[in-house]
Amino acid sequence: MSGYTGPALGARIGVDVGGTFTDLVLHDAAKNITRTGKLLTTPDDPSRAITEGVARILREAGLTPADVHSIVHGTTLVTNTVIERTGARVGLLTTAGFRDSLEIGREIRYDLYDLFLEPPPTLVPRHLRREVPERMAFDGEELLPLDEAALLREAAELVAEGVEAMAISFLHSYRNPAHERRAGEVLRAAHPAMPLTLSSAVAPEIREYERTSTACANAYVQPRMQRYLTKLEADLRATGFTGALYVMLSAGGIASLREAKEFPIRLIESGPAAGAMAAAFIARLAGLDAVVSYDMGGTTAKMCLVENGAPDHKYDFEAGRVRRFAKGSGLPLKVSVVDMIEIGAGGGSIARVDPGSGLMKVGPRSAGAVPGPVCYGRGGTEPTVTDADLLLGRLDPAHFLGGEMALDQGLVQRAVEQGVAAALGLGVAETALGISRIVDETMAAATRMHLAEKGRDPRRYTLIAFGGAGPVHACNLARLLKMKRVVVPLGAGVASALGFLVAPPATDAVRSLVGRLERLDYAAINALYAEMRAECEALLLEAGAARGAILYTPVAEMRHVGQGFEIPVPLPALELGPQHLSTLRHNFFHAYRARFSRVVEEAPIEALTWRLSAAAPAVHISLRREPSGAPASRGHRAVRFEGHGEVQAAILDRYALAPGQAFVGPALVEERESTCVVPPGAACHIDENLNLVIELP
Amino acid sequence: MDPITLEVHWSRLISIADEAATALLRTAFSTIVRESNDFATVLMDASGNSVSENTGGIASFSCILPRTTRAFLERFPPGTWRPGDCVITNDPWLATGHLPDITAVSPIFYRGRLVGFAGSIAHSPDVGGALWGADCQEVFEEGVRIPPLRIMREGVWNADVLEMFLANVRVPRQVQGDLEAQITANTVCAAGVVEFLEDSGLDDLAPLGAALAERTDLAMRRAIAALPDGEYSAVQEADGFDAQTTRIMCTVRIAGEEMEIDFAGTSEQIARGINCVMNYTHAYSVYPVKCALDPFTPRNEGSYRAITVRAPAGCILNPAYPAPVSARQLTGHLLAGAIYRALGPIMPDRIIADCGGAPTMRCLFSGLDRHGDRFSQVLFASGGMGAAPMRDGLPTTAFPTNAGAGSIEAFESVAPLVVWQKQFRPDSGGAGRMRGGLGQVAEIEVRAPGPLRLSLLSDRREHPALGMLGGAPGACSDIRMSDGTRPHPKSRTSIGPGMRLTMSYAGGGGYGPPGERDPQALAADIRDGVVSEAGARAYRA
Repeated sequence: MSGYTGPALGARIGVDVGGTFTDLVLHDAAKNITRTGKLLTTPDDPSRAITEGVARILREAGLTPADVHSIVHGTTLVTNTVIERTGARVGLLTTAGFRDSLEIGREIRYDLYDLFLEPPPTLVPRHLRREVPERMAFDGEELLPLDEAALLREAAELVAEGVEAMAISFLHSYRNPAHERRAGEVLRAAHPAMPLTLSSAVAPEIREYERTSTACANAYVQPRMQRYLTKLEADLRATGFTGALYVMLSAGGIASLREAKEFPIRLIESGPAAGAMAAAFIARLAGLDAVVSYDMGGTTAKMCLVENGAPDHKYDFEAGRVRRFAKGSGLPLKVSVVDMIEIGAGGGSIARVDPGSGLMKVGPRSAGAVPGPVCYGRGGTEPTVTDADLLLGRLDPAHFLGGEMALDQGLVQRAVEQGVAAALGLGVAETALGISRIVDETMAAATRMHLAEKGRDPRRYTLIAFGGAGPVHACNLARLLKMKRVVVPLGAGVASALGFLVAPPATDAVRSLVGRLERLDYAAINALYAEMRAECEALLLEAGAARGAILYTPVAEMRHVGQGFEIPVPLPALELGPQHLSTLRHNFFHAYRARFSRVVEEAPIEALTWRLSAAAPAVHISLRREPSGAPASRGHRAVRFEGHGEVQAAILDRYALAPGQAFVGPALVEERESTCVVPPGAACHIDENLNLVIELP
Repeated sequence: MDPITLEVHWSRLISIADEAATALLRTAFSTIVRESNDFATVLMDASGNSVSENTGGIASFSCILPRTTRAFLERFPPGTWRPGDCVITNDPWLATGHLPDITAVSPIFYRGRLVGFAGSIAHSPDVGGALWGADCQEVFEEGVRIPPLRIMREGVWNADVLEMFLANVRVPRQVQGDLEAQITANTVCAAGVVEFLEDSGLDDLAPLGAALAERTDLAMRRAIAALPDGEYSAVQEADGFDAQTTRIMCTVRIAGEEMEIDFAGTSEQIARGINCVMNYTHAYSVYPVKCALDPFTPRNEGSYRAITVRAPAGCILNPAYPAPVSARQLTGHLLAGAIYRALGPIMPDRIIADCGGAPTMRCLFSGLDRHGDRFSQVLFASGGMGAAPMRDGLPTTAFPTNAGAGSIEAFESVAPLVVWQKQFRPDSGGAGRMRGGLGQVAEIEVRAPGPLRLSLLSDRREHPALGMLGGAPGACSDIRMSDGTRPHPKSRTSIGPGMRLTMSYAGGGGYGPPGERDPQALAADIRDGVVSEAGARAYRA
């Protein structure tokens, strides 16, 4: 059932270290125990909260550290280091003539109309970017030998400048890494303690800016991550933990500490990946093969396509944007990540009247956790989406967060009136509904665009909703996208951490080799695949996979000669030859048509980049549990629905609902962290895994 | 219509235009479309008024497309359009000012009635004629001119016209591929509109479009009204062609909530391809005003109603047919600088100094590669942006256009060229309280088996990007061969194997007196090597 080897499956623990909270989830299949825990993150030393949390959850479960088979860890430490600019002082060595590639970037203004836009950040300032005479050609031919004396001289100066890590990025090193590797040997011999990143090791892909940026970001976070992971392992061992410690990568696979220490940048999306893996797991449980997962929290909404039980991936990511939702305003990273869109639409998104057009806009600015929405009564004065949801009757002012926080409706009325309704000339209720409509339309537009880019039609998909605000807006979003079904798993706040327990060991490798299909150098490509396969296998064995159980998926990125965007094309085999040419062409046209609904048959095709994904089989855990036994009905409340006006909706206790139960909306299903809004006429039932399954009218 | 519904509809319509743009961008063959974002998609009502535009792309194009569509409607009245039609043109005077840009417009029908138009513009991989030459004497030399005609009628290609056109271009397969990409984009837009009308219960776009235009018009008028009434002027000069310097005379008149931009006194049109037609002059005049006065309101038909642009007939900014116009950007890109210099004194905190990347500087290599395959490759790179009131100019970034740059590794893998350097050009940013953006230097060696054709389109060899309010000008551009010669900056020549071409891109102008520069910022520039000790003297004088 799983790819794990080693001791018989005991307890497994997932730990997600977020900016505010450290979340834990423990599952012991043999003893049928699933427990969750939450404590404040300890930013000065995150491993303190982890060891404390692990000890606490084990105590509550009646287990000891020795019973733990493995701990899977996800962290925002890498992301935060990049966002907060608290990484190492990095020195960069480049091919002579190209030290500015990192700062020149793509030469594009990410906002056409903003004369004063802030440029994307540069992690290594110019005086720490040094040049080394050497040069490879695009086909790997050496045009200029590596000047080792110059290399040593520049490196020594960087050391004198106090750099704490170094990166090397030479032109065309993805094609011929000999100079980078030799430079690495020379530097390691001269400066053995200096953390060193080779661009050809961390991201062996064509396009020097993106590869160099990735190498520098890896070097930037490496010293801190190495210290942190080393200490975390020692701390856990000190408590008597003898199992394996793994981390979650940005693509949703779990990996060994060694991979994490060598390529810490691969952890950049570690947390969000867990959420997507959880959604994929729920989709598999519910037998859904075409799903859009939708996670709406306080600040953002994230959508991800999940097909055939696995989230979609992409191979680049932008970190540390200076304008959070503006594409092109951050650092490009060539890392494998779960392909998610993130937009500025959350419960805390602020509604305001735009001074230019006089129309209402919602988000992307957010009230965040502090001061938070007006209704929290913590000093927020600008009306938010959560405030609108409260006025519409969707949230219970007395039972928010299980009653821990009483919401102040009067305050909200005034804020909506003075903040937006008066300027729009509308009533408060109408304005509240407007806030909700606008944020829903924003999310729908972003989802439509994301699916359109992949040639997908949203009508075929089921929406799986997570997050505090997700279940509140899910049915409206689904309606706008003409989706027929919405699934809401139990425990919106915990669901994401499940991802750590259901993710398999997985990794991927990549190489670039440009060639037209009819002129492919099969021997060279097969050699690359042999290399990649060995690399992946070694990593996965370390991450606990069984040798025979690894599944390899080769994909090449191709395009027509002359185009600038590649599309991923599945390959028929790990070893290719001329006999595969027609299949390669066929697969390309198939993928092209799926995306663009047309093909250009006569135009020649070229492949640029070759990828290999490797994964052990997914892990299954049981979510079944007994309903609380309390009566489900909590009475009725007036709720405003678009197109229905104000109607009386049944209020149901999520924890009391049992598999097989069914009802028809209007209804509100309340649980601790969220409320699911079921519109009039929608049919809802509880499936065997306690998911709410809503069929829209 | 209530303001909530208006906002909900507006964002939906913008996303429809964006979806069309995505479809175009991802399937286009033209590197110009991709790397320079030389494209636009616009959704219009049945009268050709813009309702929404794509968010990226070239700002000026979306402003021109509705004008072209209205010209189409004169030729093809509303009653003559049928579903599946597509009308195209590349006429410089009707469309975007030079032949390579193809405008394609398709009708949108809803329940059997014409409710709007989906339009797209893209820079075609080729239109025949003199490839990338600024040196032609008449438009006839510059390529095939397509008058407004139906390239597709009810979903069927106009085969004779298509064959005639493709027989006159160098890369017919790619040219047709991009036409198809434009038609695909229009189809995506039309399908989105039909779905929108079904969802919203509306039966037409016109009333909604009018309500949205009222909003954008009001936003611009409010911004103009906040400026002091009066007449403000500036002169901007550029290299022009050989001895014929281009002189832009710009007068901006503000009266209440309206603005008039008048180019009376500007140089006459010339018999070289740097004439800039009125459509382009208009677009590159209103765009910088929008950036400075009302950057964040989305655009549509109302955005520019409050602004009038005038240029005397027969001047370089309003040339008469059949003037050559191929490199009209070399003149049109200068207008932003002229307008900001005129308005600088009354709104010093909303404008920037002149940009080194205005106009863009391009070199195009074409010929046969190692396999004997024909190639044609442009090096995209920009000069420095002008300094802003509160920060230094962005290095190597274009304005008013927004051409990006591709990777050198990708460039070298499709062309027999080796780039030996592409890096910042020290001391190229104009000195000032805020320093002008740095230009760059690119050095390219030919490694083809035989000589290649080299086309150059550039300016600023004699005329640097000027500083603003006391700032110093940026460095001029320079183009040199490895044998020490300086090729004509707007020429078509050839370059042999082993030769190297060095392109030095201009820097942006500085802002404010150099003596007011923060000493720490100057020290950081010196440490980073972007200002030399010699260059630092400009700040200490």
